[in-house]
Amino acid sequence: MKQILLITDGCSNVGVSPVVAAAQAFAEGITVNVVGVLDQGDLGEFGSAEIEEIARAGGGLSRLAHTRQLSQTVQMLTRKTVVQTIQQAVHRELKQVLGTSSIEGLPPEKRSEVVRVIDELGETTKLKVALLIDASASMKPKMQAVEEAIRDLSLSLQARQGRSEIAVFHFPGSAHGDDCMMDLNWTADVRGVTQFLPRLQMRGTTPTGPALMHVVDFFRTPSQFLGNNNDETDGMMSDYVV
Amino acid sequence: MTTSFDWKLPRGTLIHGKWKQNRYRVERLLGEGANGKVFLVERQRTWYAMKISSDAVDLQSEVNVLQSIAKQRQAGRHEAYLIDVDDFRNSDGVDYPFYVMRYIRGMTLFDYLAKQGMDWFPVVGYSLLVKLAQLHSEQWTFGDLKVENVLVGDYGRAELVDYGGVTGFGKSVRQFTEIYDRGYWNAGSRTADAKYDLFSFAVLCIQIHESRRLAALTASLLPQNRAPEELLKLARVNPVLRTMEDWLSKALRGEFAHTQEAAKSWQQWQHKHSRHAPSAPVPRWMKGLFVASAALLATTIYWLLRAGL
Ligand SMILES: Nc1ncnc2c1ncn2[C@@H]1O[C@H](COP(=O)(O)OP(=O)(O)O)[C@@H](O)[C@H]1O
Repeated sequence: MKQILLITDGCSNVGVSPVVAAAQAFAEGITVNVVGVLDQGDLGEFGSAEIEEIARAGGGLSRLAHTRQLSQTVQMLTRKTVVQTIQQAVHRELKQVLGTSSIEGLPPEKRSEVVRVIDELGETTKLKVALLIDASASMKPKMQAVEEAIRDLSLSLQARQGRSEIAVFHFPGSAHGDDCMMDLNWTADVRGVTQFLPRLQMRGTTPTGPALMHVVDFFRTPSQFLGNNNDETDGMMSDYVV
Repeated sequence: MTTSFDWKLPRGTLIHGKWKQNRYRVERLLGEGANGKVFLVERQRTWYAMKISSDAVDLQSEVNVLQSIAKQRQAGRHEAYLIDVDDFRNSDGVDYPFYVMRYIRGMTLFDYLAKQGMDWFPVVGYSLLVKLAQLHSEQWTFGDLKVENVLVGDYGRAELVDYGGVTGFGKSVRQFTEIYDRGYWNAGSRTADAKYDLFSFAVLCIQIHESRRLAALTASLLPQNRAPEELLKLARVNPVLRTMEDWLSKALRGEFAHTQEAAKSWQQWQHKHSRHAPSAPVPRWMKGLFVASAALLATTIYWLLRAGL
């Protein structure tokens, strides 16, 4: 299962639209979640509309969060999306196997069995989450909170039985023309990695769309994604339910 | 996936189970949390607690855990906790899943100690450790151990409520509350084991005696500086907590081999404490402000389908 989690505090202003990029990610089987992070005040009407639309296009969820609730919000979105993705797969299978598309419609014993499978998959499915961090000037004071939220997420994912890995990117990149830079390659453990996010702001642009495309590319590159043909959730229900 | 549901069930409402046809009469709301509402209901002159949720998967997940535990305890020594599982159609035309459990007549931990006095703390604590030891012997971690999830009956008998966090050993803890979480304090993983609950138990002891200072501490510490030692420093300023520093230290550092050992060590502390310590007065803040301060502190994080923020 593949996810991108975008953490931003404003509007994109160069390159391809982030909504288009998110739609492409979703088409490639990657769910896109977005957290709009606030310090004081708000994102502005335009900013919050944008994060909502990016998430919708990416098949994921969006939330606004104060820096103090960032850890919880990041975890909650990641977890909810894992379960939602599994449920969607399960719903498809329910239709085929049991002729009903809702868990609510099942009699108690069947429901118990199906939910047991959902829980089991939620705990054991392999998971890759790429975090994409807006590192434009206004985000600078929030970087410590973002880093802390990433550590906390990693701690929770480590406790899962299924292999879980995160990668971290920020945008814009340092050199001119770089939309995005990798801070951490796929890793299951960020303990001991100090200050992986940049504290210096490089450029004034916010190329959210191009950066998203870059991360989608990263998922696709076979060398980064060795033989992990990922859809473990599909096709599993029939084994359990029938 | 819907989150909250705002409707009320007025006193006297009849709830008719769709699959098993049992009928319950609603008496009043007992409490509500992120996962649903709990009502006091009556059936054939017996009181029960009924948990209703708008999320079928979420509720079923909790029921599955309760059913597994019930199977393990079949021996009959224990009074059944899970009584019934069903759906009912509400007046809004929507079916809601519910389960029925034994009604626990009791007060929240804070209320109990405020009313009966802090003298009861060691007894309640021991009773709670016994409950945990039982769960641990069956390879379950309670997970979301916190003051709100402990009800106390007559003579300090502690009962755990809210099984939404109960997790099999070795899996990731399904639901936890930050300040009680060993991961939050950089003291270990979020993988379920007995020590996870003992850590939360130690924080709970501190929360009961030094709620304000604990809140101040969590607000002031940088994430990388959160550590068991900080909690122990806080414990040393309190006359009761100071006497149990050894116990707290072992629980916070994961040094108890198992929960029976923790319970035994607790008894030894109780023994010494009862001879030497003057009975502790109820802290003044507890007599009114406790509910608010507890609620403020507690931010719960949910694994799986826990309703959103
Ligand atoms: N079996 C029970 N007997 C008496 N009161 C209960 C019982 N179960 C729950 N409650 C009350 O209802 C409140 C909410 O229940 P809980 O299971 O914690 O819901 P949630 O999982 O949504 O937080 C509890 O804090 C408690 O006061």
